[in-house]
Amino acid sequence: MKEEMAVSDLGNRVQEVKDSFERDVAPVTTTEALQGLKVQYLGKKGMLTTLLKSLGNLSPQERPLAGEALNTLRSELEQKIEEKKQLLIQAEDAAAEAMERIDVTLPPRGRPAGAFHPVAQTMHEIVSIMQGLGYSVVLGPEIEEDHYNFECLNMPSWHPARDMQDTFYFPDSEDQETAKRRLLRTHTSPVEIRAMLRYGAPLRIICPGKVYRRDNDPTHSPMFNQLEGLLVDEGVSFSVLKGSLIELMNGFFGRALKSRFRASYFPFTEPSMELDIECVECGGKNPDCRICKGTGWLEVCGMGMTHPFVIRAGGIDPEKYNAFAFGMGLDRMAMLKYGISDLRYLFNGNVSYFLSGRDVL
Amino acid sequence: MIVSWQLLKRFIDLPVSPEEAAVRLTLSGAEVESIEHPEAQVSGVAVARVRSLQGHPSKPNLFVATLETGKGEAVCVTAATNLKAGDKVFYGAPGATIPEVTARGTSKKAELGLRDFGEIRSAGMMLSAAELGLPDVDIVEGILVLPEDAPLGADALSLYGLGDALLDVSITPNRGDLLSILGMARELKGLYPDAVLKPMPEHTSGTEDWPVEFGAIALPDDGCLNYHLGLATGVKIAPSPVEIRVTLAHLGMRPISNIVDATNYVMLLLGQPLHPFDLNTLPGWEITVRPAFEGEKIVTLDGKERLLTAKDMLITSGKETPTHPIALAGIMGGKETVINDDTDVVVLEGASFSPRRVGHTSRRLGIASEAAFRYSRGVDPTLSALGVDYALFLMREWSGAVIDYKKLSAFNLQPEPQPVVLTKKKLHTYLLWSDMEEATQILEGYGIRHVKNLESEYLKAEDLKTGDSRSENFGGNVRAFVPPTWRPDIAIEEDLIEEIGRWRGYDSAPAHLPGVLPRRGDVGAETSLAGAMRACAIARGYVEAVTYSFLPESFVSTLRLPDDDLRAHPLCLANPISQDWVAMRTTLIPGLLNGLKESIASGWREPVRLFEIGRVFLRSGAHSTEHGEPEHNELEVLGGLVCSGTAPRTPWQETLEDFLSVKADVLALLQIRGRRASFLQGTEPFGHAGQTARIPGIGYLARLSPAIERELGFAQPVYIFELSLAALESVEKNAYTPASPFPANFRDISMLVPNDKTQDEVVAEIQASVTQAPVTQASVTQASVMQASETQTSNSEESSAKILESVKLFDIYSGKGIPAGYRSMAFSLCYRTFHRTLNDEEVDKIHNSLRDALGKKGYNIR
Repeated sequence: MKEEMAVSDLGNRVQEVKDSFERDVAPVTTTEALQGLKVQYLGKKGMLTTLLKSLGNLSPQERPLAGEALNTLRSELEQKIEEKKQLLIQAEDAAAEAMERIDVTLPPRGRPAGAFHPVAQTMHEIVSIMQGLGYSVVLGPEIEEDHYNFECLNMPSWHPARDMQDTFYFPDSEDQETAKRRLLRTHTSPVEIRAMLRYGAPLRIICPGKVYRRDNDPTHSPMFNQLEGLLVDEGVSFSVLKGSLIELMNGFFGRALKSRFRASYFPFTEPSMELDIECVECGGKNPDCRICKGTGWLEVCGMGMTHPFVIRAGGIDPEKYNAFAFGMGLDRMAMLKYGISDLRYLFNGNVSYFLSGRDVL
Repeated sequence: MIVSWQLLKRFIDLPVSPEEAAVRLTLSGAEVESIEHPEAQVSGVAVARVRSLQGHPSKPNLFVATLETGKGEAVCVTAATNLKAGDKVFYGAPGATIPEVTARGTSKKAELGLRDFGEIRSAGMMLSAAELGLPDVDIVEGILVLPEDAPLGADALSLYGLGDALLDVSITPNRGDLLSILGMARELKGLYPDAVLKPMPEHTSGTEDWPVEFGAIALPDDGCLNYHLGLATGVKIAPSPVEIRVTLAHLGMRPISNIVDATNYVMLLLGQPLHPFDLNTLPGWEITVRPAFEGEKIVTLDGKERLLTAKDMLITSGKETPTHPIALAGIMGGKETVINDDTDVVVLEGASFSPRRVGHTSRRLGIASEAAFRYSRGVDPTLSALGVDYALFLMREWSGAVIDYKKLSAFNLQPEPQPVVLTKKKLHTYLLWSDMEEATQILEGYGIRHVKNLESEYLKAEDLKTGDSRSENFGGNVRAFVPPTWRPDIAIEEDLIEEIGRWRGYDSAPAHLPGVLPRRGDVGAETSLAGAMRACAIARGYVEAVTYSFLPESFVSTLRLPDDDLRAHPLCLANPISQDWVAMRTTLIPGLLNGLKESIASGWREPVRLFEIGRVFLRSGAHSTEHGEPEHNELEVLGGLVCSGTAPRTPWQETLEDFLSVKADVLALLQIRGRRASFLQGTEPFGHAGQTARIPGIGYLARLSPAIERELGFAQPVYIFELSLAALESVEKNAYTPASPFPANFRDISMLVPNDKTQDEVVAEIQASVTQAPVTQASVTQASVMQASETQTSNSEESSAKILESVKLFDIYSGKGIPAGYRSMAFSLCYRTFHRTLNDEEVDKIHNSLRDALGKKGYNIR
């Protein structure tokens, strides 16, 4: 009778522990408190251990049954604690993350990206297009001699074409024989002469660089940038010049543009032409277009079959080889591609202008 | 040049409109920049006759005219005082339009209407030339009075050259022949084979002797090819006819008088410049065309004294030697012999001058006269006599002059057009087209004659030269052509090919890509280096600048460059545009400083990071060579500038720029070229005395000296650097190395370092000291030796320097607790080898002996 009482008493005690745990675990809000609760119930001096110790009072027949009941209780409590723990960790993480919330619209720390110069970018882009067509880059001095800048290019001192290229000279060149007079090159053509003299034929080059003319108004800067090209070979036809330039323009502007080749004149080419491309702004559709002035055409490049005089000046036999050459203003190309309205913005190093072009801040 | 469509039609019957002709001309080399209709705003204006003219009944300054309009009568009030009854005028009835004069020109129309002047209602207006948009055509202030024969009621736009279409054509310097209506007509004849050229105006000179004893014309200067003098007596200087004044105004020349206008008109029509002298002002009655003497002077008709050289050519007169200059040949007349209102005898010069000589002098003296412009581009030498005859004829018509006199002429050697040979082979090479028959027709159209008899001579010569049989040239594959006298630009075969090419149009030519060369395109070391450097700088937040290569000379003093600094002696231009652009830059810094200034001036307050890749120009050592001419070097440099801006406030203070943040950029630029450059304490004339680093062989990094920062108004420190790109052209390749498979052991060391000792020096001493650390072979395990033989093939002997893998500064402190003149530096040392694991005791032993060694060197180890 007494022993029966003992077993049912244990059953009651188990239920009591369960009820007590449910009561105690509900208000727990931290993993720390939960750990305390765990010790309270499952620890060395915990309630379950106390119950386990009381098994000794039971009869050997009853012990296995009671032991099983207590083990069930232990795993039940352990599971509940683990479940509660996961909930609490989630809640704690959520609270911590909420605390660590950042206003993602705050300004960044560190430096924003820089910006390229449109003219330098244009130069590198065209160089890369032309490299694909087999043209190599050759550079030359910006302070040149009259000989290379003019004489070799079929522009003797009396030549009216010199009117178009008002030139900066250096002072102590007055007494010099004309050919040696030092000046700031007015085009990159002298580089072509130097390249012919140095490398001979066949030759396929482009010459980018700064050039200088004594002009200063809204559409002329005393310093600007050019890129010229030269191809020397046997039996060169205008068609290859035409093909090269169409490729250059379409590559640079990223689409197939209408183009037209007009007859023109340069002392160093014969025949000479100029290339017009369709207006990149209006495509010829706007009679008031500020870029093409309503003509639908943009003059972008002068060219021609190199004059035999120039080929000879380059040390190459014009009877055996012929050549073509072309030249364009990199500043103009950059202005057209990047929609720059005024040449004067290009050379003053104002960071606000160049950064505005890449939409910063 | 402006081409009048109405004048053009006097020379040629054209089957096309001005617009069509403009496109054809543009594509074939004479670019038509615009087509203007100067009287586009004029409508409803017609000829009327003033029947009567009375004073206004109540307004004393006005007149009331009754007009006969051809359609009836009209009453018109005017303030003009130059009218009388019977005058013919242009009258705009109500509804007629005239140009409205606005600030932007005369592009708008104004409609005339009824207007009350007191009790009189005025219908429309009588017009001045200015009101029609041609102020230069008016002779007196007031209403334009028309010739008596003006047809009553006729529309103004059908009279006197009004209503013309004007083509503004850009003529290339090789086509002097196109600087006239005649030349344009010939060009259009070439372009339109169906057009019909009309016969040239022919005027022969008279036969009478001159009424004065005029002596010889001498041409000792062969720059004068021929020289003609005509004579007009009994001249009455007056305005030229209204039609001529309208034409001159349309073509951009101001009408002056019947005599001057006659010469200008002939020049515009035929392209032949003419010059009238007043006979009575000539120093003598003979003409000598001679080179000027060195230092000789002439006052030209614009009142300027011109200093001459022996390359200039003068028209002179008089018997004394030297003869007296009266004109700068082909460029401008002298002031003394100019036509004036009292001139009654005119000596008219028509001459042909060498383009080179005129071009040389006009460019040297900066005189861009219409005559010089034409002569320097070539004037057909056969035109000079014709021009004199035609202008004399006009003078008789317009001034009643007597012109029946002989022309006096003198000649030097005349240039003869030389034959030029066209070969089918070259034509085909250039244009990939070679129909010799059609080519011949095209050239003939331009007046370039195919001459068969010259061909056989040429073929004979070619056969001798090449040994070819003549049969190869059979069928007209080689043809000779003689250009007309007005086309001296045609001298070589390529010139003929150009005529054919431009006639056919280049748009029809096929387009090909260049064939295969034995090598690929090569961007070249400089350009690819620039590309790599700019990509790196831009990624690090720099803005790329391109600034002017010339600077004001004051940059030398702004940057405190001392006299013994090569950069203090820039090459200067002889003819700068302004003193701000005179000295070739010897450093990129002034341009970048200006960029900073411009950025701030435009309202930019954020940090400024700028770089530029460009050339500096340095004299090469000695300031001049044996020629007295500065030799120079052009060096490609990368310059940089960093400043935290004018409002460096940010929530993140640590982002402000300083010497070390910019050093990181410079290092990055060097690292992409494989450089581990050292920074040495250095000096620059413009650098902060305590914050300037020299990068040997490459450049410098500095803070701008505070004095210069103050002077230029920069409140925040400015950091600058310049790197020589030539020094970075080659890439130094560093071997790729995997990390050691063995663990690293870290030990810290903290020590007091005197302020004058640099971090680099301390690190070097740490590295040098560790070599003394003993290492025992005993501690090397068998396993690690096995592994070592895989990683280190040659020498497995351990170098203690290699055991110390790295030394890294992690803390630096001075101030409280640190003696003055010292700073505390703390380094983290990494011990590690490639072929075995180092155990703790071993590392302790090495590290302790390192501490001892440093201690012996006098460092206070903490």
